Amino acid sequence: MPTPAAVTTSPTVEEGGVHTVLVVDDEPTARMALAARLKRLGYRVIEAGDGKVGLEVLRRERPDLTILDWMMPEMDGPSFCEQVRQDPALLSSQILMMTSHDQPQQIAEGLARGADDFLSKAASKYEITARVQAGMRTATLIRRLEDVTEEIRRKQEVLERELQSAARYVESLLPAPGTLLPGVQMVHVYRPSLGLGGDLFNVVPWNDDVLGLYLLDASGHGVSSALRSASFSTFLRRENLLHHVGSSDPGAILTEANRLFPLTEDGNYFTIIFARLDVRARTLSYATAGHNGALLHRRSGEVCWMAKPNLPLGFDQSTTYLTEELTIEQGDRLYVLSDGLYEVPASNGELWGQDRLEKTVRAFGDCPLSEVVSGTIAEVIRWQGHEHFPDDVALMGIELTEKDFHERSSEP
Amino acid sequence: MAMHTKERPVPNGVVLEMTGDLTYANREQFKTAVETIRQKGCRHLILNMAEVRFVDSSGLGLLALVSQNFKLSQGKVSMLKPQSYVREIMSLANIQKLIPVYDNEQDALAGHQRAA
Repeated sequence: MPTPAAVTTSPTVEEGGVHTVLVVDDEPTARMALAARLKRLGYRVIEAGDGKVGLEVLRRERPDLTILDWMMPEMDGPSFCEQVRQDPALLSSQILMMTSHDQPQQIAEGLARGADDFLSKAASKYEITARVQAGMRTATLIRRLEDVTEEIRRKQEVLERELQSAARYVESLLPAPGTLLPGVQMVHVYRPSLGLGGDLFNVVPWNDDVLGLYLLDASGHGVSSALRSASFSTFLRRENLLHHVGSSDPGAILTEANRLFPLTEDGNYFTIIFARLDVRARTLSYATAGHNGALLHRRSGEVCWMAKPNLPLGFDQSTTYLTEELTIEQGDRLYVLSDGLYEVPASNGELWGQDRLEKTVRAFGDCPLSEVVSGTIAEVIRWQGHEHFPDDVALMGIELTEKDFHERSSEP
Repeated sequence: MAMHTKERPVPNGVVLEMTGDLTYANREQFKTAVETIRQKGCRHLILNMAEVRFVDSSGLGLLALVSQNFKLSQGKVSMLKPQSYVREIMSLANIQKLIPVYDNEQDALAGHQRAA
């Protein structure tokens, strides 16, 4: 029968600051003598008569320090240590092994099997006190570290919940996919890297025939870039643009935005493409500021990148952004995307790149637009070998659907 | 990859020898190095980019910021020998409009850009 664990507390020590020591020894006289000495030193003492009971107490009471006899029947001291070090809930316990085996080789074995320190059974009162205090110092530091780690984990959780809620807000700003104008279909994918992204895109309905489209990318990551994007997208609302810029011309809009959104003091800025699609006039006009992710896949099969070397917004206050114009046909498709879509490294570091993106879009041919968009994302995921994109990814596909577009353009 | 910088005084300016990546992770180090030079009253900062392998979007923003700050204190910033990949990133964002690019130090000091 194992001896049941007994708890005794010195009446002279106040609660709160009291440290607990577990003494595990099968020999009652030695155990009680040590317990008495520890109580005199002001510790709360729990005694256990064998290793098995000792482990139970350790698990239940989490004492600050365990003083352990080496030689015990069934489970000896080193085996006790090994069990403790294999148990995630116990492994940070401080163990002081007490033994008459005080040959260097044996001490080394005890340490190797999981003890933190040694105490000879022949040790003086003074040495026992000193070693117990040293063990307590370590135990206190470990406990503080564990508490701080737990606190950080809790705070992290709160922060992540807040980020998720902010991310849902950002996503609520995105346009609904589907019919933008009769004859203009749009699908999109939005995959922010940290839950909260600095990429944003939207549609600005100018009138029954004319549509504005933009995709912006705030440099930097996380909360601050998401906030800046959200504020920029407020500037890019129809009413505000009409009031502030007085025009739906992409170049005029970016020229004004460049004045209003200077570099931040950390050197953060926006890149953007702003396009204007006129289904009646069959024109696609656009302006870019440091943004290279836009390509027109014509029904004929021709692919045209719409990038122009151009300063990002805020780099130079005096920049005038110019509007480029392309003619468009029914069946043409416009893809507007962030660089996070193609600046994606494979495991060997090689980037997917714009050429592969173009090839992928070509290979899909005239598959339904939603298949091209989801298939392109799938292709990039295959390339990088996992689902987690290193940067924000946004991809918007716009198609001038043949039927409606044809009907419209054949109107008088 | 971390970034190391070393200043080298030249007539009427300072060359900042840069090694490593000009990225988000190294932004503070780069900003501090450049700001120290600017506050000493340097009028011409020459960034030697020969040993810079990569510039990300944050790095581009820092270059623009540095150029604006030097302009405010009546100074200017030039760039020396960017590697081809970095040069491509620069030219897509048209950075050479703000920061002239030179292939050797004499030209950078003289301030006349050689036709590419």
